[in-house]
Amino acid sequence: MLRLENVRFRYSGSDTTYDFSMQVAAGEITCISGRSGSGKSTLLDLIAGFLKPVDGSLTWRDINFTQLPPDKRPVTTVFQQHNLFEHRDAIDNVVVGINPKIPKKGRDAELAESVLASVGLQDFIHTRVNLLSGGQQQRVAIARAILRDSGVILLDEPFSALDQQTRADMLHLVRTLATEKARAVIMVTHDLRDCEAIADSHYEIEHGQLHKRVV
Amino acid sequence: MFNSTLTNASRFGRAVKQAIALGLAFAVPATAVAADKTLTIYTYDAFAADWGPAPGIEKAFEETCECDVQFIATDSSIGALRKVQLEGDQTKADIVLGLDTNIAEAARETGLFIEHNADSSGLTLPTGEWTDNTFLPFDYSYFAFVYNKENVAEPPTSFEALMAMPDDFKIVIQDPRSSTPGLGLLLWVQEVYGDKAMDVWKRLAPKIVTVTKGWSDAYGLFLKDEADMVLSYTTSPAYHDIAEDDQRFASAAFDEGHYLQIEVAAIVGSTKNKQLAQEFMQFMLSDTVQDIIPTTNWVYPATTTEKGIPKGFEKLHLPETSLLIDGVEVEKNRARWIDQWVETLGQ
Amino acid sequence: MAAVFVLLAATLLYQLASHPDSLTLSLGPRFARTLYWTTVQATISTALSILVGTLLAWALSYRTRFAGRGVYIALLSSAMVLPTLVIALGIVTVLGRSGWINEALQWLEFSPFEPFIFGLSGIVLAHVYFNASYVARTLLGRFESIPVEQRKLTRSLGLNAWQRFKMIELPSVSGTLPGVSITIFLLCFTSFSIVLMLGGSPKYNTLEVSIYEAIKLDFDLGRALGLALTQLSICAVLIILASRLRKDNRLISAPTANRYQLKDPVMLTGIQYIVIVLFGLIFLLPLTAVVIDGMSASFIKLAGDKNFLLALSTSLVIALLSTVLVLFSSVLIAIAYATLATQQRLANNRISQPLLKLLRFSSTLYLAVPSLVLGLGFFLLARGVGGAQILWAVIALLTSNVLMVLPFAIAALAPAMVKCANRYDKLAFSLGLKRWNRWRLIESSLVKPELIYIASLAFCLSLGDLGVIALFGNQDFITLPWLLFQKMGSYRTDEAAGIALIMLAITLAVFLLLPRLFAGKLIKTEKAHHAKA
Repeated sequence: MLRLENVRFRYSGSDTTYDFSMQVAAGEITCISGRSGSGKSTLLDLIAGFLKPVDGSLTWRDINFTQLPPDKRPVTTVFQQHNLFEHRDAIDNVVVGINPKIPKKGRDAELAESVLASVGLQDFIHTRVNLLSGGQQQRVAIARAILRDSGVILLDEPFSALDQQTRADMLHLVRTLATEKARAVIMVTHDLRDCEAIADSHYEIEHGQLHKRVV
Repeated sequence: MFNSTLTNASRFGRAVKQAIALGLAFAVPATAVAADKTLTIYTYDAFAADWGPAPGIEKAFEETCECDVQFIATDSSIGALRKVQLEGDQTKADIVLGLDTNIAEAARETGLFIEHNADSSGLTLPTGEWTDNTFLPFDYSYFAFVYNKENVAEPPTSFEALMAMPDDFKIVIQDPRSSTPGLGLLLWVQEVYGDKAMDVWKRLAPKIVTVTKGWSDAYGLFLKDEADMVLSYTTSPAYHDIAEDDQRFASAAFDEGHYLQIEVAAIVGSTKNKQLAQEFMQFMLSDTVQDIIPTTNWVYPATTTEKGIPKGFEKLHLPETSLLIDGVEVEKNRARWIDQWVETLGQ
Repeated sequence: MAAVFVLLAATLLYQLASHPDSLTLSLGPRFARTLYWTTVQATISTALSILVGTLLAWALSYRTRFAGRGVYIALLSSAMVLPTLVIALGIVTVLGRSGWINEALQWLEFSPFEPFIFGLSGIVLAHVYFNASYVARTLLGRFESIPVEQRKLTRSLGLNAWQRFKMIELPSVSGTLPGVSITIFLLCFTSFSIVLMLGGSPKYNTLEVSIYEAIKLDFDLGRALGLALTQLSICAVLIILASRLRKDNRLISAPTANRYQLKDPVMLTGIQYIVIVLFGLIFLLPLTAVVIDGMSASFIKLAGDKNFLLALSTSLVIALLSTVLVLFSSVLIAIAYATLATQQRLANNRISQPLLKLLRFSSTLYLAVPSLVLGLGFFLLARGVGGAQILWAVIALLTSNVLMVLPFAIAALAPAMVKCANRYDKLAFSLGLKRWNRWRLIESSLVKPELIYIASLAFCLSLGDLGVIALFGNQDFITLPWLLFQKMGSYRTDEAAGIALIMLAITLAVFLLLPRLFAGKLIKTEKAHHAKA
């Protein structure tokens, strides 16, 4: 269970104070919506550790990770774009998730290979990622998220640039991931159809706070 | 093939030349305004400076000649010669002033200079009588290293002693290709050491902070304490003593003797004011000018004037041995010695 | 532009042809060694400049919020237009044997260091001073345009600073570095005033200084030409090699206004601040020295000095004329470039491809044309043709100024032009907009910031350059840098310091304030654009 308790934050020079509280269980997908500038990215940055809250606490499986740096948190983010190192091939981009030295051989490389295969990219393991399609690129990013084995996966509008069919495939992939690997998934989107399609719960950000909506 | 390219190029060049000349004829109003005669003198910067001899000489000569005297400063006296060469027939120079006997032969070979016809019987140079009718001496001094007594307690007393100084003892010298003191030092070493001169330079090299283009930059660096000694003249301390009432400076007396510099002037052949130029040359030897020179150029006058040498000069070190290589001999070897020097310092 | 080349070639050839006897092309006895030392010097200077500049850009791209960052970066951009002589003067004041640092060391009872500002170390130091700032400024733009997601990503993956650098920073500049390196190498290879002033002995002469010496000291025009042609060919070969090395530059998203400062370990932050402060000090000390020395000068006396007034007005007029000419020629080149690129895009035209290459090639080649040789050509032409010397001097000065600024102008203009092309090409094709019409409607407003930058660059570089004037300067025709060089030479220190301060003030004012003055207008037009869109 991922738990946010009154995680408060304020940008210097801004009047808005964010105050976030929510829970996401392992194996569940929670969808976050809200207008542009409402604070969706701020929420994700706070969970991922790119921003430090003023107070409040973040816990995963009852372990408080509020003070940990981004790479020590049980969290992986898949961004809308720029997820990948464009000049490297697919497997490098995946294996870097567990080993920054990017080994070409050995256990880590084999693991990365099998994860890539599990998202349907077995034929593109050594392809440079900027030669892949948008959907394939997001699959590489998700493959890395799977490999990292962190409990919480944050999706920052990851499929908004994809066509309808690819998008459906990706949503399906996420659903499988959440259920089979028991991950807590938080997905930011402004397309409510995505929420309806796969989400178990839905929050909307308004005036710096999270409001639960009925799915 | 190459020939035809050249011809074409020159034909093209001629066409360009005509076109541009035509354009200029319209674009530029005739600049030859018939005013008072102007006597243009190229010289080195320190001579032409506000505090140099030029302003006083200019004023004195203009009082008698009904003409306008213009001193044009170049970064060094050899620079003045090169400028005349570069400008060719276009040069405005009537006189080049400040060459010395070491470079005079080279200047003579350019064929740019004509006879001065001045009466040189009043000259009282250490070398005795003067017979050259192209170059006319107007002052002299001896090259020497100048130091600050507060910084250097025991100055070297010979080249040998200088070479034996530790390497953090720094000197600043001038380039023999652009500056007469620089050339003077080269000849000084040459005269003392002959064939072994380059070994001396090799040993001096680590002590040389920098080689400047002219005397002024070198002296400036020395006064800024960037070096312990600077190549200058035995008479330089007189400036600090008399003009600044500062007794800290002295020249290092070398056992081998000191190289003599006789500064000369010459008339440029293309001058349109030949008579005026000749009058000026004679004027350079008058008591008026000769009395101005010691306390502005800080060297010895070339004649014995009524007033005599100013007070304070008697304190200076007067070398017992004065060295001088014959001008023709210098010119025969100058290019080779300079090449060797550049080669030695450039390693 | 082609006309300039033809004129240049004609001048040189004409001179060769008209002096068949007196001119024998030669390289002089020290050629091999000069070439060797010039190469060594330029290589060390370039390597150090890139290293220091990259380190600084890296530190600045991480530390996005500290007081005075804006001013710091503005000063860095101004480094390339600061008058070299003025800075060299400042460096001597700070690092000389009796300079500030040594005095401070002595006061603290440490032993002072040996003088090192003359000779190879001095030349390299001055080159790094100017070029590292240039590198830092150029790379910082690249680093800042790295998408923030990538920065977050590397952090959440736990990469250390070096691994991050390899994964995102280095790739973001890999397209830029070869070009920047070759530019800096050429600048150091052909360096003139710094070597002239800090060279120490003939040992470290560059080819450019050898050319100067051949003309001014030995009056050996054949050798000057021989050296000039050699320098030209070496640089041309280098540029060709570089253009082969250069990869196609992948367009990176525009810098995000959001200056995200991510949290980093104290160690890393500390190192970055040390880099920033240390370089800031090294950068500011010589400037401060110039200001402090300059303050003691008597400006009233200077204002009454007719030489100074003449030099000031000449310099301002020349700089203004150069600016107009540079703007005019870079706009022409840009239009030609855009037209050719369009043709290339529409139909794989056989002529436009090599023309494009030539255009790109020649814009860098100007770096290799020794301005002294250009000056010499004009000088000899003037002697042969006749006419007022001063007119020739002005022409020579303007030409060399334009050639000096063009490579930078085009480097600044090209990316903006490419952006315009990407955005508006299709629209322009469908509306049939071509050449001047297209320029007026599209580029003229979109590349305005670049044009303002180019204008201030042209003005400042023209104001501060001591090159051709070293041949042409005389009583009637003096510029500020020439007057400064003379005053420095004749040890009029306080006057030199005063002139240096004035040059510094004009340069900084023009370079830092001019774009800001126009910025107000820019925002308005920018808004109008958005409103229309």
